[in-house]
Amino acid sequence: MAAIGINRETIRKAWSAVGVVRPVFRQHRWRLLAGFLALAGVNSLQLIIPRIIRQTVDNLQQGIATQAGLLHFALLVLLISLGIGVCRFGWRYLILGFSRILEVDLRNALFAHLLTLDRPYFQKKPPGELMALASNDLSAVQMACGMGLIAFSDALFMSMATLGFMAYIHPGLTLLTVLPMPLLAGLTSYLSARIHHRFKKVQEQFSRLTEFSRDTLSSIRLVKVYTQEQDRTERFNTLGQSYVRDNLRLALVQGTLFPVSGMVANVSMLLVLYFGGRLTIRGAITIGDFAAFISYLFMLTWPIMALGWVANLFQLGVTSLHRIKTVLDAAPKLIEPAAPLPLPAVSQGFALRHLTFGYAPSLPPALKDLSLTIGPGVLGVVGRTGSGKSTLCQLLARLYPVPEASLFLEEQDINRLPLAGVRSQIAYLPQEVLVFSDTVAANIAMGKPDASPAEIETAARAAAIHGEILAMPQGYQTRIGEKGATLSGGQRQRLALARTLLLNRPILILDDGLSAVDTQTEHAIIANLRPYLAQKICIIVSHRLQALADADRLVVLAEGRVVEDGTHVELLANGGLYATIHAHQGMQEGCQ
Amino acid sequence: MRYDFGYFEEDHLKKVTEAHLWQRILGYVRPFWWEVAGALFLSLIITGAGLGLPALLREAVDNYIVNQGLTIPARLAGVTRLAGLFLALLGLEFVANFLQVVLLEWTGQRVMHRMRQQLFSHMLGLNLSFYNRNPVGKLVTRLTNDIQNMHEMFTSVIVTLFNDFIRLTGILAILFWMNWRLALCMCLLVPAILANTLWFSTLARNAFRRIRTGLARINSFLQEALSGVSLIQLFNREPYSRERFKALNRAYLDDTLYQIKVFGIFMPVVEILAMGATALIIWYGGNEIMQGAMTIGVLVAFLAYMRLFFQPLRELSQKYSIVQSAMASAERIFQLLDTHESLPVAREPQLPAKDGGMVVFQNVTFGYAPGQPVLHDLSFTVQPGETLAIVGATGSGKSTIINLLERLYDPDSGGITVGNADLRQLDPAWLRRHVGLVMQDVFIVPDTLRANILLDRLDIDDAKLTTIVDRAQLTALVRQLPEGWHTRLGEGGMELSAGQKQLLAFARVLARDPAILVLDEATSNVDTETEILIERAIDTALANRTSIVIAHRLSTIRRAHRILVMTEGCIVEQGTHDSLMAAAGLYYHLQSLQVRECGPS
Repeated sequence: MAAIGINRETIRKAWSAVGVVRPVFRQHRWRLLAGFLALAGVNSLQLIIPRIIRQTVDNLQQGIATQAGLLHFALLVLLISLGIGVCRFGWRYLILGFSRILEVDLRNALFAHLLTLDRPYFQKKPPGELMALASNDLSAVQMACGMGLIAFSDALFMSMATLGFMAYIHPGLTLLTVLPMPLLAGLTSYLSARIHHRFKKVQEQFSRLTEFSRDTLSSIRLVKVYTQEQDRTERFNTLGQSYVRDNLRLALVQGTLFPVSGMVANVSMLLVLYFGGRLTIRGAITIGDFAAFISYLFMLTWPIMALGWVANLFQLGVTSLHRIKTVLDAAPKLIEPAAPLPLPAVSQGFALRHLTFGYAPSLPPALKDLSLTIGPGVLGVVGRTGSGKSTLCQLLARLYPVPEASLFLEEQDINRLPLAGVRSQIAYLPQEVLVFSDTVAANIAMGKPDASPAEIETAARAAAIHGEILAMPQGYQTRIGEKGATLSGGQRQRLALARTLLLNRPILILDDGLSAVDTQTEHAIIANLRPYLAQKICIIVSHRLQALADADRLVVLAEGRVVEDGTHVELLANGGLYATIHAHQGMQEGCQ
Repeated sequence: MRYDFGYFEEDHLKKVTEAHLWQRILGYVRPFWWEVAGALFLSLIITGAGLGLPALLREAVDNYIVNQGLTIPARLAGVTRLAGLFLALLGLEFVANFLQVVLLEWTGQRVMHRMRQQLFSHMLGLNLSFYNRNPVGKLVTRLTNDIQNMHEMFTSVIVTLFNDFIRLTGILAILFWMNWRLALCMCLLVPAILANTLWFSTLARNAFRRIRTGLARINSFLQEALSGVSLIQLFNREPYSRERFKALNRAYLDDTLYQIKVFGIFMPVVEILAMGATALIIWYGGNEIMQGAMTIGVLVAFLAYMRLFFQPLRELSQKYSIVQSAMASAERIFQLLDTHESLPVAREPQLPAKDGGMVVFQNVTFGYAPGQPVLHDLSFTVQPGETLAIVGATGSGKSTIINLLERLYDPDSGGITVGNADLRQLDPAWLRRHVGLVMQDVFIVPDTLRANILLDRLDIDDAKLTTIVDRAQLTALVRQLPEGWHTRLGEGGMELSAGQKQLLAFARVLARDPAILVLDEATSNVDTETEILIERAIDTALANRTSIVIAHRLSTIRRAHRILVMTEGCIVEQGTHDSLMAAAGLYYHLQSLQVRECGPS
């Protein structure tokens, strides 16, 4: 375990990381105990065989062997090997099985915890990083708790026992032959760490290669139109060459590990041959002892190599466990109140009072001292990019924590209301929509899995996508994703709208959720929704003013503040920012 | 719901004895025959050394250690001499082993690099219909995993199989030479081991495939869930997601436990067989010794060779699986290489004058699938310098016109000419430079902004680039970037917004300065400032150029000299904005929605 720096801080950290898996160990302690017993059984039985061989050879040498005796020895060997087989199956199933159970338990726990974390956390930890955690780190932990644990106890037991037997035959010779062994352990540990490092590089380069091919082939039309075939092939060549190079660097270390270990083991053999041979000739040990010594030596090589390998495995496992622990320890900023008030029926809507909000203390606030009441009917929100429209929607949808007494729902501070309860009142459609690889129907019914086909269809019609869904190969049962249909940006947004509408919740927030839909369709959708929206509290953000012209009320945001507030006609008459944007868009749409 | 979240598993087995596949694979290896011969030569050394070591041991025991006929000093000297030889052989084995690993990796990687490169450039030459039929995920697998499978076979199997073969033959020869009766007895165990191996390799393969698929399912589910955590929270779907994830994990656990059982049975069975051999040697060999037909040294050597004999047999099943999947990969790769779906290229392509700006569609009928035409007998002409706008609902065939004009497809009937030359008579690369395209989606090369604008127009100097950047309305962006146009884009570099990407597309087309411009306007809207920039860029790009525009912005439509209105692959109306509005037909209907709602009337 030389690879782990002996440092109090490291040990404390490692110990606290191990705390994550300790309950699982405790839960399965009987299983583990049985597994280790089986392991010990395999090892003890294995050690008997060289003794039988020694006995046979000695008997033959001394001429006292009998046919019955030989048969007896042979049958004993067979019997023992059967015992070994049963025990071997036992430890594999019990201990390796345990490591898999541990892996699955940890993954479930990790996922369940991630589902409780909030938006600010996921902004710091992108999905890619968490994915790596769930695959690479978990498998490092699994390896350490499965193969690592086995190899460690196996190696410890085997080397102790083998050394004991050898020392029993001749202590001096044993000391001589094990001289190269620490070197073997050290070398294995050092080289397997190097291999791991270089292997990771190879993996990274491989994914770069994969990413590049995917990128090129999925935009093949553009590659052809811009005659980029040559350029792409050259870039691919460069990537491929460095992949070749990384592989070679790996092979250089890998090519050293096994020959070196083989050589170190054979050096021991050489020592036995030279010194043991001399001892036998002088009569200090019998020829049977000599043969058994060689058998034991064969048995010692693998455990010693394993010790080096295991040290490295444990180190990786603990590092990974530590990373997993930091995720499991992360607490959301947006938390359920300790004693939530009962959720009131939604009728009056939201009130914002002097709300100031920033994404990070280092950044200027996105909303500044904002006061606004949002009641039944359609509220249109307009403003330039970065004026705080999306921030406002996300705060209303309870995706970020807000300061005390700044955001009220039904005159109750929203921080005092149950989180899931508030969210169950809100249907929110963001600009970047996510469509799951599942059927169209399942995607629409996401928030209401028991929705009838008629309900799903009504929602799809309201989002003006029913016709297009019917045109797909299997209609509502068409699968979306690489294997199924690919949707255009506009189709995805309308699908997400259908999903949002199906929720039929009292509050509806559309955060520029139809930006990729063409103007006519967006307008038609919103116009059709009017009667439905009248009974709800509805906030719509859009860049296209004409889609919002019918709104009951419009607010214009600029730099996190409300700068204009009124109906379409009033705001036009005002001659402010709204009128300016309108003038431009009106000209662009061809009517003045 | 069992399904794979877009993960592919192609795992049908392939007979390892298909001669034509082997022939083709060896064809790739032929240029490296020196290296391969070297590796095989090293195999001989390694095997020789590996087999020689126990032989030396036997020599030492029989000739010196137990040989009472010699004097003690002579016996000691003999052991010392053999120990020296042992050491020399050890060194030789180490060097040969190392050299072989490195040599094989180097050769294997180069063979695979060549193959990958050939496959990649072959794929880029295939036409769009091919890509419509084959999902990208599958094609990427060809370039990555399939090649990787073959590489694995090449480095870890072909030569080691040769190694094993030589070693097994060598061991058998030695055993037979030492005591043929005992050797024959041991051979009786070989069929049992082989049968066990084959049976196991099938089971192990299935087990591994199930684990791989299960893990892929878990990861894809996780990927989706992680990118949609807030969606799950907003829809109160946490319990459902947790349960579904648990179910996926449960299935995965069952598969891993199954795999552990399969291995847990195979390993002991091989071991029992090996022990059986040991028992046989003790019983039969012991009897031989008692009858004086064999020496003790032979018995010790037999026991030592046994280990060497069973080691390769234990690994055989793994190697067999590798060869099987490599053969399947090879077949898929060769199948792809044998696909020749590219549009025919004229042997002596015409090169029309640079300013050949006239575009004519003459009775063009075309469909992506047979019997489902998207364009019906379409004819129209665009005069040099004219701007033609095409409007129509989604699916009316607008984008198909672009695909045909860029010759991504050939029409089923009718013809298209550019500058009086039929597209089929032109060099496709020339055509695509001549007909510039600004599309909705913009690809980013992982390189600097400058390289992204120029692409292959490396002859453009900085002064000219400044003009282009200015005309494409990118000056403001370039100025605010830390390293100007040397800022890196794409992976690890800066991300452009949708609007900035549109502007980049204009800059590209201005750099190429094509005689004909095709503009496919993006439907998604951007904020007002960017919108103004894009309109200016469109202005510059269209000026004095033959242009075909699939238009969404009314401002662009009104700028056009002529408008085609399309429905279901046919032209239903054409004229200027004013004349079409006056005609009060489909165009009027399409526009009226927007106009009616504008402004307080």
